[in-house]
Amino acid sequence: MAFEALFEPIQIGKLTIRNRVVSTAHAEVHATDGGMTTDRYVKYYEEKAKGGCGLAICGGSSVVSIDSPQGWWSSVNLSTDRIIPHFQNLADAVHKHGGKIMIQITHMGRRSRWDGYDWSTLVSPSGIREPVHRSTCKTIEEEDIWRIIGDFAQAARRAKEGGLDGVELSAVHQHLIDQFWSPRVNKREDQWGGSFENRMRFGMEVLKAVRAEVGDDFVVGMRICGDEFHPDGLSHEDMKQIAAYYDATGQVDFFGVIGSGCDTHNTLANVIPNMSYPPEPFLHLAAGIKEVVSVPVIHAQNIKDPNQAQRILEGGYVDLVGMTRAHIADPHLIAKIKMGQIDQIKQCVGANYCIDRQYQGLDVLCIQNAATSREYMGLPHIIEKTEGPKRKVVVVGGGPGGMEAARVAAERGHEVTLFEAAEALGGQITIAAQAPQRDQIAGITRWYQLELARLKIDLRLGTRADEATLLDLRPDIVVLATGGHPFLEQDPQWGYSENPEESLVVSSWDILSGKVAPGKNVLIYDTICEFSGLSAADYLADKGAKVEIVTDDIKPGAAVGGTTFPTYYRSLYEKEVIMTSDLLLHKVYREGDGLVAVLENEYTGSLEERVVDQVVVENGVRPDEALYYALKEQSRNKGQVDLEALYAIQPQPCLSEAGDGFLLFRLGDCTAPRNTHAAIYDALRICKDF
Amino acid sequence: MLETLLPILIFAALGLAVIGAWRRIRLWRQGRPAEVDLLRGLVAMPRRYLVDLHHVVGRDKVMSNTHVATAGGFVAAAVLMILVHGLGLGSPEVLGGLLGWLLLAASAVMFVGSLLVAKRRLNPPARLSRGPWMRLPKSLMAFSLSVFLITLTTVGVLPQDAGSWVLALILAAVLVWGLGEMVFGMTWGGPMKHAFAGALHLAFHRRAERFGGGRSTGLKALDLDDPDAKLGVETPSDFTWNQLLGFDACVQCGRCEAVCPAFAAGQPLNPKKLIQDMVVGLAGGSDAGYAGSPYPGKPVGEHFGSPHGPIVAREGKALVDDETLWSCTTCRACVEECPMMIEHVDAIVDMRRFLTLEHGNTPNKGAEVLDNLIATDNPGGFDPGSRLHWAADLNLPLMADVKQADVLLWLGDGAFDMRNQRTLRSLVKILRAAEVDFAVLGVEERDSGDVARRLGDEATFQSLARRNIATLAKYRFQRIVTCDPHSFHVLGNEYGELGGQYEVLHHSTFIAELYDAGRLAFAPWKGGSVTYHDPCYLGRYNGEYEAPRNVLKALGIEVKEMERSGFRSRCCGGGGGAPITDIPGERRIPDMRMNDVRETGAELVAVGCPQCTAMLEGVVDASAEVRDIAELVADALVANTQMEKPAAGAPPRSADKTTAEEVS
Repeated sequence: MAFEALFEPIQIGKLTIRNRVVSTAHAEVHATDGGMTTDRYVKYYEEKAKGGCGLAICGGSSVVSIDSPQGWWSSVNLSTDRIIPHFQNLADAVHKHGGKIMIQITHMGRRSRWDGYDWSTLVSPSGIREPVHRSTCKTIEEEDIWRIIGDFAQAARRAKEGGLDGVELSAVHQHLIDQFWSPRVNKREDQWGGSFENRMRFGMEVLKAVRAEVGDDFVVGMRICGDEFHPDGLSHEDMKQIAAYYDATGQVDFFGVIGSGCDTHNTLANVIPNMSYPPEPFLHLAAGIKEVVSVPVIHAQNIKDPNQAQRILEGGYVDLVGMTRAHIADPHLIAKIKMGQIDQIKQCVGANYCIDRQYQGLDVLCIQNAATSREYMGLPHIIEKTEGPKRKVVVVGGGPGGMEAARVAAERGHEVTLFEAAEALGGQITIAAQAPQRDQIAGITRWYQLELARLKIDLRLGTRADEATLLDLRPDIVVLATGGHPFLEQDPQWGYSENPEESLVVSSWDILSGKVAPGKNVLIYDTICEFSGLSAADYLADKGAKVEIVTDDIKPGAAVGGTTFPTYYRSLYEKEVIMTSDLLLHKVYREGDGLVAVLENEYTGSLEERVVDQVVVENGVRPDEALYYALKEQSRNKGQVDLEALYAIQPQPCLSEAGDGFLLFRLGDCTAPRNTHAAIYDALRICKDF
Repeated sequence: MLETLLPILIFAALGLAVIGAWRRIRLWRQGRPAEVDLLRGLVAMPRRYLVDLHHVVGRDKVMSNTHVATAGGFVAAAVLMILVHGLGLGSPEVLGGLLGWLLLAASAVMFVGSLLVAKRRLNPPARLSRGPWMRLPKSLMAFSLSVFLITLTTVGVLPQDAGSWVLALILAAVLVWGLGEMVFGMTWGGPMKHAFAGALHLAFHRRAERFGGGRSTGLKALDLDDPDAKLGVETPSDFTWNQLLGFDACVQCGRCEAVCPAFAAGQPLNPKKLIQDMVVGLAGGSDAGYAGSPYPGKPVGEHFGSPHGPIVAREGKALVDDETLWSCTTCRACVEECPMMIEHVDAIVDMRRFLTLEHGNTPNKGAEVLDNLIATDNPGGFDPGSRLHWAADLNLPLMADVKQADVLLWLGDGAFDMRNQRTLRSLVKILRAAEVDFAVLGVEERDSGDVARRLGDEATFQSLARRNIATLAKYRFQRIVTCDPHSFHVLGNEYGELGGQYEVLHHSTFIAELYDAGRLAFAPWKGGSVTYHDPCYLGRYNGEYEAPRNVLKALGIEVKEMERSGFRSRCCGGGGGAPITDIPGERRIPDMRMNDVRETGAELVAVGCPQCTAMLEGVVDASAEVRDIAELVADALVANTQMEKPAAGAPPRSADKTTAEEVS
């Protein structure tokens, strides 16, 4: 496939973009030092440009005014001229690879938090509270309006003086401009509210002020919503009217279109569709906007695959495709298409680890690519071959950590053997992928399978490695990524036994893997509150079981991120799963054919019982350490990882020390139970210097 | 008795030979007229024979010496025989009998030569034709031995009456056999015909410039304005007379067959058989007498033709099947190896012209590609406006803007191909690093016409060429540089006839020049072992074997040569529209080529042609990476300390492994 549509340059305003692929605006969270872009930020975008991305719009929700708090998400602060030299670094880094870079600028109005940093008083057209941030605000005054309009113009000037290629005015995600647009939150009766023209006025004044400040040779675009999906909000027809209205000024160079509003948890999940959504679920909304405007339209939302992107562009639905998470997963996406290495693209699986971290105020990272946004530390996206000795590397465990270790070691040019006890690679990913709507997580494994086949490692599936097998291979390095097992033995009162006939409880793994048949009336006790408990509940309910999921935490799924728990909740409520919080599992005992689960209220100590036919306990993972301790004393480094070197992304010192025998490293859940990213990150930073 | 008999025999043979020659010449003259300076050709012939032809023959030392002894001995013996035995000048009274002794020596040398010929025929390689050629060593021996023995009496080593009249008669009979093969057969059509036709072919060669190193193809532009002219070659008599003469010179040595990539791939082409079929056609008859390797998959004896009958039948069989003609990659390996300087490839294209222009019969994707060229000026049918899409972020200077530049960078149709775009981007990086003043035509550029011409569509070729020439005429530039050897060849060697004279350089030549001038500096090579694949249109067509190797050397690479490299390089399978006409065989040519690469153990094969890159990269489970020389150079570029000011634009960066930047 030639991907001609993907690689057709396009003119936006007076700017030529080399292809049709955009990394759209998102909060990076690691952006800044007090709102100023950092080396980390520059390297993150440079990598995308180097990898061939046509246009990056950086700085999701970068603020133009000091009363729009930027501290919570460390967004870029355009309210001061101090930003200009930082932009120059950023622009140079992207331009030298032929890419273009713009920034999204906004005032978030009520959509933030007030309780920190400068303790800003948030503003909104009618002072109505925003639920997602639990934020209250004052009703904006005329003086604030004109101040903020001026701030937009100055922010655009700073972007231009910093050498960026354009600005995108955010009128999406319920920021101040679309707070004025939406009758849902704009109840004003003055010239800023009421009629269509009045509701449009603030955005129009911002546009005019910005254009007057930057002139015609600087790109000014708008990102808008395609339909707020609220009965009292802006419909698709409303949005077409708005888009046409602004387009008619001739002052907008492009429109970015996003399906769904996002001032509730449920609509927020639509904005960054996770793996439960179909491909490009809201393309029709963007296409509808394209019908009524005369300038290029950008659309992002679940466009992850080059063929999909080509199809969308060929169909003429939009002019540019946003492949934002696709670039977080693999910033060399475009380069790989051009190199004919489509199979080597690490494709986004929609796990939304990136955005869910963002909503927790944590830096944006990729579940499966530990190098993303760590470019500044020297973590490589492309592993160079070693110039040192070729080593015999044996990896035990084919979960994410083990697969990454094998891949990195093989890319380094070493001879790699990977043992996996199961018949397929994947480890816990394979189990996770069994749940309804979670199958795409297996994409992580799929990529590793292809890569490990390409790298021609010695892959031994269905083989449990023991001490003797390992030592027979005379390895130079042994990497243990053996994972662990469900931790059901923690409380003997639960009645877990290794003998399945006797055990009163089963694990979520047993359920999801199909090892244990679903019961009819099931209690799930979930102490972890991440994906596994909700997945087991969804799986069981899907098979027809009556399910109650109980946790001692504040709510089931409490640790699942903001764009993911809503899609679980939709499914669980639909299937009438009962979600109960604040109860501990005190004891399980058999009574007749059934089981009785005794639950204890965390706060009152009162006991209650459930009579069920199956009790599923999700209590996390207990590391499998036996092989590690069998090998530890024989290894040269006694299995120890040098933490200073590890955290500094430096080679492990033992790699360059001479000596007999093998080096031993362990990573992932067999050390301590953490998550997929942790296992992959450890594997990359330990193995990249083999 | 022999004194009486011999002059009769000799002059009878000569007389018959003259009649035979006249008849043979009449056959050749069935061909179309061709402008040949007969006298100059005849004068130049000995040099062409002794230098150019022997340069080819001399590649096989044993065969070369054999031929020198046999042919030299025969020519001398024949002349001396006429003098000694025909005119009686061998007696001791004339020059002390010197001529007789010389004749003895000449026939002895010839006899030794014929022993070597016989030895070669004991266990002949598959490429050699059998049939009448198997008796040739015996005939040579018959001639040389009988002349030698008869001459022994002439010089007086043996008495005049040695042996009986019976013996004399036997000797005369053997001589008759020898004379029959060597003199009569030379013009009436035995193996020795090659000497007669070959000598005249050298003299009246259709592409005389090749003897001075000329880089032409013999694809003369068709006159498309004459409504009555037949376009291309339909029948043997549609060839020019000197082409027919050339076919007749074939010695069926099969060197062409041994190097033909299509033959090796089991496609239905054998250049030797093709030439022999033309010989059959020029005299009329069937190919049943052919005693060499057939076209793979096609039995001998089922085809027939006549001078004025079609070579390719619209339906059924004629002299050759069309798929034979469409199997050719135009790699010229046959032409390069042919000791008789026959021009197989030009003949094939002449015949393709008729099939394409008069029958509209270009197989498989051929018609589609030609339609694309007609509609979009590029074979892929891409939007012609997208020729510069790959360079949207490079700000390439356009000729339309700058009007003049030192170098016009000719992109070729690789500009539409993602793989070749990497090569082009590398080349741009190199030109910028060396601060070359260059510009591109951009969307004004059209396909050079190479594929159209090789597929026989002369009309589309001329249309493209004339429009390119008109475009080029608008701008001032010193030289054209291109990474596409096909464009290089067509622009440099085939546009001249249509009025476009340019100095065209392959990028490897230009890079070598820049390096020699100190305008490029390279980081030391850190990669693995490398071999180099010579593109046909760069090597055999244009003789550029050194520049690419010099560039690789400058990069610090020691090339592990393939057994078939340089002028003997094996084609990638991508030339002449062969991937488009896609005639099935038993193997794929690029697979065989990558196997050549594998045998060197090289981890990387350097190439200098978009077509070769595409073909070789298409090989499944290849052992080596395929990279254009420009990519290797661009990766190795370091800041040049010899240059006083930094390069324009971005400063040159150190070479790194990833090509992401060049790709992006």
